[in-house]
Amino acid sequence: MKSPIAASFRLLLRDWRGGELGVLFSALLLAVTVVVAISGFVNRLQFNLERESASFLAADLVVSSAKPVPLEWRAKVDTEGLQRGETITFSSMVISDNDEMFLASVKAVGGGYPLRGSLSVDVGSAQPSSRIPAPGGVFLAPRLVQQLRVAVGDAVYVGDATLTVTGTLLSEPDSTSGFFGYGPRLVMNSADLDATGIVQPGSRVTYRLLVAGSSNQLEAFRDWVDPQLTQGQRLLSVDESQPGIGATLERARGFLLLAGSLGVMLAAAAILVAARRFGERHTDQVAVMKSLGATKRTIQQLYALSLTWLGLLSIVLGSGIGWLAQSAMFNALADQLPGEINRIGVTPYLTGAVTALVCVGFFAWPPLARLGGVSPLRVIRRETTIANSTRALDLLLGAASLGLLMLWYSRDLQLTAALLGAVAITVGLGFFVAHGLLGGTRQIGSNAGSVWRLALAGMQRRGNSSAFQVVIFGIAIMLLLVLTAVRTSLLDQWRLQIPEGTPNHFVLNVSPSDEARLLTFFSEREIEVGELYPAARGRVMAVNGAPLPDRDSAEGGARQREANFTSTDTAPEGNEIVEGAWWRAGTDDALVSLEDGFAQDIGARVGDQLTIRIAADEFSVEVASIRKVNWESMQPNFFVIFPDQLLLKFPNMLFTSFYLEPDEKRRVGELLDVIPTLTIIELDVAIAEIKTIIDQVSQAIELVLIVILVAGALVLIAGVSASVDERLHESAILRALGAGRGTLLGAVAIEFAAMGSLAGVLAILGSEAAGWALQTQMLELDYQVQWVLWPMGIGLGAIIIGGLGTFACRRVVSAPPLKVLREL
Amino acid sequence: MIKTSQLSKRVSTAESELEILRGIELEIKQGETAAIVGASGSGKSTLLGLLAGLDTPSAGAILLDGTNIVNLDEDQRATLRSQKVGFVFQSFQLLPALTALENVMLPLELAGIAHAREKSEEFLSRVGLDERLHHYPRTLSGGEQQRVAIARAFASQPVILFADEPTGNLDTATGANVIELLFGLNEEEGTTLVLVTHDNSLADRCQRKFTMTAGQLEEAL
Repeated sequence: MKSPIAASFRLLLRDWRGGELGVLFSALLLAVTVVVAISGFVNRLQFNLERESASFLAADLVVSSAKPVPLEWRAKVDTEGLQRGETITFSSMVISDNDEMFLASVKAVGGGYPLRGSLSVDVGSAQPSSRIPAPGGVFLAPRLVQQLRVAVGDAVYVGDATLTVTGTLLSEPDSTSGFFGYGPRLVMNSADLDATGIVQPGSRVTYRLLVAGSSNQLEAFRDWVDPQLTQGQRLLSVDESQPGIGATLERARGFLLLAGSLGVMLAAAAILVAARRFGERHTDQVAVMKSLGATKRTIQQLYALSLTWLGLLSIVLGSGIGWLAQSAMFNALADQLPGEINRIGVTPYLTGAVTALVCVGFFAWPPLARLGGVSPLRVIRRETTIANSTRALDLLLGAASLGLLMLWYSRDLQLTAALLGAVAITVGLGFFVAHGLLGGTRQIGSNAGSVWRLALAGMQRRGNSSAFQVVIFGIAIMLLLVLTAVRTSLLDQWRLQIPEGTPNHFVLNVSPSDEARLLTFFSEREIEVGELYPAARGRVMAVNGAPLPDRDSAEGGARQREANFTSTDTAPEGNEIVEGAWWRAGTDDALVSLEDGFAQDIGARVGDQLTIRIAADEFSVEVASIRKVNWESMQPNFFVIFPDQLLLKFPNMLFTSFYLEPDEKRRVGELLDVIPTLTIIELDVAIAEIKTIIDQVSQAIELVLIVILVAGALVLIAGVSASVDERLHESAILRALGAGRGTLLGAVAIEFAAMGSLAGVLAILGSEAAGWALQTQMLELDYQVQWVLWPMGIGLGAIIIGGLGTFACRRVVSAPPLKVLREL
Repeated sequence: MIKTSQLSKRVSTAESELEILRGIELEIKQGETAAIVGASGSGKSTLLGLLAGLDTPSAGAILLDGTNIVNLDEDQRATLRSQKVGFVFQSFQLLPALTALENVMLPLELAGIAHAREKSEEFLSRVGLDERLHHYPRTLSGGEQQRVAIARAFASQPVILFADEPTGNLDTATGANVIELLFGLNEEEGTTLVLVTHDNSLADRCQRKFTMTAGQLEEAL
């Protein structure tokens, strides 16, 4: 051979033209396309969702501080190349010219605010404005406008400053971050802050340094600033400030990575099938070439090179198609997703390329490498056997390489282990069960009619290859079942997280004397209101008599904590008692139940004695239980709960929650007219935003599921077509012998349907195992055996595989048998 | 040209060991034509496979153009085949993915012979297929396919040509046609020809004729 490279090109071209490469190339192309499309889509989706959820903070990262943020921190933000912004919030009475006054939550903003998300302000023009107020101007929340009875252009007084109302605040990105000030919002320019004279040493002010930029830069800044934080200073990121969103995003990311890994696995299965078929079809060709004098080395070099070209081609083409596909997927969601959609980065292409190389090297190459060992004697004796079946070592190497690939792709050991475990179960059980059952079916077959005998004899004669196919079908169906099941639990759980009618307003500071008026107000307007809880602000002073350091103390470790206390005699719904036990109703023992994080903070355990201070009173209680609280539930949750009898002795305010439809918003103002001393926390915007994000993620997941389903279908088609040649030949002979169309198609349909239902059984076993591992270990969802999937898996396996197989073999009954025989 | 001594081949089956060839002694000189005839299963195709170096014997020696091919490994035998041996098979063994021309070019390319295309075109023209250069095997008749196979066998100008039932898959008239071509080219090229056949009229055209009976070879004189 003069030039192996030129020769391999010729071989590839000739194989290509001769239609020999179709299945193998399609499978490789599919692998690269699926991986590029899904990982591109995931990257882009993640980027966009993080951006969107970052708008809850108006930044990617926030340093919150009770004192002004040190100058060198700001300098560090600038030198790291990050974007910087600042807000200063405090509560202040706001007064209007007509002598109305109201306690507002004032936020002074400057420069770059907001770094993420945007303001929406009604300034009287057709389009809402997104700019911050100019110096001298303020934006008021609608309720503040209503309470102060002012309009755009009127003056309001904040401290010593006179400011002009220049717009009505429709929404602000960081409305929910920290419920420091409970009043309606006033946004002013930080340039006017000094003029108010409010912010002085000792005043209760929250300074926030807003930071945004790339994740590397953020990580660097976080690492730098974290050790320097002192008491009263905190770092906030999306996950920490909004546990609901953080967990939702985490699960969505987990699901999408799972889907991507399944894509890789399905593609590998398709390639394995296709390469086997390619190898089988090339056995004769290699035998002829060897009889003509090609050495083993020549053959291996030729196929290795031409496989390399094929791999490169599929990387290039697959990357292109993958890009188009993720673009199309993204456009399908375009109206639900915010802008900035052009970032997919190089990672998806790199992932696609590595996937192609692993697939070529570990799945396509082994059967072709063995072509070198084909005996040239095959040109004289057809039956000369060749060692071309899939070997255990290849499968092990393949599984190991696939495991590493998935690990690299998902960076998640549990996920990889769960999927590989499920595949191992399917494969292991597969060959075992398939062999056994195939034998059993032969027993049945010999007593059955001729169509059945034909079908079952055929299946059994091709024992190993039938078992191999059953396993491949099983894996494909299993992966699809896993994905569908996980998706269903995920969506259900999200729907439960914020059900319709979740309270979106909280009412604090209800004095017992106002209780009746409050309830009348709601019942007259047919607004459903939640239970009234007593609430008292208090502080844990000591544990087992050892005083805790003051909260502003510089000492590390446990310290005093202030919290809202409540009392109830029934354990709150959605709380899980992890230690100790709930008290009996009506007890007058001095007990307390703590949230587990709170208990850790103060260093308390069940049985410890806590010293509690409410207002001026101090008393002692015993820790009766420690609870885990679901912070994602958007329900009122408490760190510290006492028995009813205990808290009744103290002066108590009550608190409750209610749900308002968006068009009922004016009720908030009406309620404050009736009982002006109430404090109302409005969570409606935040809840609506969380719902939007959940909706978007759900849709993205549905879309990805469809892509994977298509990939799975292609694997099934590859698997079916791999065995068609052999069946065609046999069917042509039978047809030549006079078998009717019905008999032949019937036999083919039965054979494939039987394999399909066997595959269905395997798939269900594997998917239950994987489902259990994934849902309980990775996605932290509850696991239930999906009994409904059992008949479905078996039935669908039979129908789909039977249908595909019959469809693929239809050619034999429409073409003259001589033609079919001659072509083979 | 080709010489065997005490050549035997045994294969193990599930029940027993089967002796297919027993102590074959054979010598064919350069330029001779030889036919091996015999009943089905008598071992004649096995002998052909051994002579051509496609398989290894259980015992004995095979000298092909002075080299004992029994001592060569598979790759060395392949190299020897690419340089010295040509084949014509009963089932033609054309590669379905390649055109007639490419099928003929293949052994030339494998042997690294220059001007593969021109040589192949010439030989296809000599077998009367200059109109069919770019046809795929499936669009050719059986006779045409075997003529492509003959062109392929001669194109690399081997010193020895093996033919395994070259007319076995063809009707009488087409078969006769192919035989004319085979012998005609053989004479022009001065190749040594060894063929295995059932066909007595074909065997009669050879200078020497051997009969295979139950693994033993006898020359019919």
